Amino acid sequence: MKVQSQGETLSVTGVKELGAANSNNFRDMVKHAFGDGQRNIQIDLSQTTFVDSCGLGALISLHKATCGRNGTVRLVNPTPPVQQILELTRMHRIFEIVSH
Amino acid sequence: MPLNSFPISRPATLRLAVRSDLGEVRPVASIVRNFMKDQGFDDAEVQAAELAFVEACNNAIKYAGPRGAGECVMVDVLCTEENIELRITDNTDGFDWPETVELPDFEKETGRGIFLINTLMDRVSYLRGRGQNCLVMRKKRRLRSEARHIEFSSLEEASLRLTESEQVIRDMAEELSFCYESLSAIFRCSSELGKSNNLEEFARRLLTDLAQITSADWFLFRLINRDGTALEPFSWSDPMVQPQALSLTGESFTGSVEVEAACTREDVWFDHLNPLPSQDFLRTIDVNSIGLVHPIFLGERLIGTLTVAKSAPGTLFTAVQANVVHTFADFLAIQIVNARFNEEQLRGSLVNRELEIAKAIQRSLLPKSLPPLPGYDLAGFCESARQVGGDFYDVLKIGDDSALLIIADVMGKGVPAAMFAAILRSLLRAVPEWTNQPAALLARVNRLLFEELSGVDMFITAQLVFIDGKERKLTAASAGHCPVLLWNSTEPEVKLISPEGMPLGILPDTTFTNQTETLFADSRLLLYTDGLTEARNQKGEFYGQERLVAWLKNQSNNGQSAEALKEKLAGELRSFQANMSLNDDQTFLIMTE
Repeated sequence: MKVQSQGETLSVTGVKELGAANSNNFRDMVKHAFGDGQRNIQIDLSQTTFVDSCGLGALISLHKATCGRNGTVRLVNPTPPVQQILELTRMHRIFEIVSH
Repeated sequence: MPLNSFPISRPATLRLAVRSDLGEVRPVASIVRNFMKDQGFDDAEVQAAELAFVEACNNAIKYAGPRGAGECVMVDVLCTEENIELRITDNTDGFDWPETVELPDFEKETGRGIFLINTLMDRVSYLRGRGQNCLVMRKKRRLRSEARHIEFSSLEEASLRLTESEQVIRDMAEELSFCYESLSAIFRCSSELGKSNNLEEFARRLLTDLAQITSADWFLFRLINRDGTALEPFSWSDPMVQPQALSLTGESFTGSVEVEAACTREDVWFDHLNPLPSQDFLRTIDVNSIGLVHPIFLGERLIGTLTVAKSAPGTLFTAVQANVVHTFADFLAIQIVNARFNEEQLRGSLVNRELEIAKAIQRSLLPKSLPPLPGYDLAGFCESARQVGGDFYDVLKIGDDSALLIIADVMGKGVPAAMFAAILRSLLRAVPEWTNQPAALLARVNRLLFEELSGVDMFITAQLVFIDGKERKLTAASAGHCPVLLWNSTEPEVKLISPEGMPLGILPDTTFTNQTETLFADSRLLLYTDGLTEARNQKGEFYGQERLVAWLKNQSNNGQSAEALKEKLAGELRSFQANMSLNDDQTFLIMTE
């Protein structure tokens, strides 16, 4: 997993899975890297083969962090299984989802 | 070249033990995913089942108690041509699986696991046991796969897989046989219920079947009493024990696991680690029992408790067996509630029918018209209370100028009271030559009726008044009845005629007294039952004898007919009682000159 600052946006790439085993770690790492001057978090989900309800919890926690700064969480290129769980739980309505 | 290959003609199974560690779930999920792919499930099916599987395993591991923390979560996967079935057996204390699962609010970070399982799978059931629960998830296959070939790299692997398959199929066959036995027992007992309608017998048979199916040694089924204050024994396996009712109004439930289950609304399990409380009645059945108490609710209403147990040494019921106990208990509760409801309806209609009969008898006893008595005028009134007592009046004409006036009140209600009234009426009419001797007639009737009346703890009060029109005299005798009221224009006050005498049916041999009075000009006579003086108004006050005496005295003396006076008195009583319903029959007989 790689975390990079791009101006007001924190960019996360290379996430393989977001499940019960690693979601707390993922959340804490991203929050830690989310600098004072930043508003948005962008997560590249093109490599992510699996997300479960704990992974969703981590994404929601990050969403709340950006809301506090008038920013957003943007999810980029989710794979079909990840897109499915986002839609099932209607998370696609609160996250900005971008597919290239 | 594969060593062995054969077409799958029976379900493919996979059994895995998952260490209680969240990090273990994903690697195991990959095995499940690959297994499903091998079985020809498409990507969407595999994806859905995998996610449901992961959510279920995460829960099993996250909520394992201190005891379950070291235990593996067992996973069974069964692929048939129609279904995939996943079973996750955990070691948690379990929880109530919600019937409907709503998606939590957006900002909530947890609570989506069960929603996902319910959404992704077609059928989900959660079987609860003690410290061990089994989540069964099924999903229908979208396409029937072609006959597929499975390849093993070695004979050992093939044989290992076969052993696993056999174990899983054995477990499922056992559960299936539970289901089959449960269903057939339920059907068998239901069809018998239709025949006999004997609830006790029905419950005993059903619970005996349940004990057999679950390998239990004894059971005790209790029902809540009508006012909800106690659990009363209804059916139990051991005829040697005599269970008493258990009060639910006590301050604590520590003495009884049955009361505890009823109060906490949760199953209570007992075994050697959690033994029955020292004062618990269940210890008298078997002190070393291992079992559970299931409180039975229909909606919010407590119906009863079912205790099922084995004798030690043995093991606790499995989750599947506990589930069978729940199913039987709930089924039994519904049957009993239905049967009780029907019974009450039937009893209600019987009571109404009985009241109608009693009313009809009572009406038939009253004379349709009163015989004319030269120089005198007669009118009678009888109003039945809802509960119908045994009041009646009668007038027997004797010769040209005399008559016997009769009023009686059988102490009792319904058909029996009406029957005794009918008998009394016949006995009084049977010996016309005695009618001018009221006291002797009462003594004779008392002798004839005593045995029947005392046998049913009933008695009759009666008043006989012989009117001699020619001599202008009356002779009265009373069997414990209210006084006769006599008003003469020559006297200022109403006279109360109350000769001594016991009610009929109290003593076998008793004597009565005749009292003779002269009938002066414009006399008025009133015979009545205590339904008049005991009529109540809205303040709860009795109408009373004083009011009745005053009413009789105050009637104007201008030759009113008995019929007119009857209407007036009836009106007077109605207005006194206002809208109060009658507690007792009201009967009176008026004679005017």
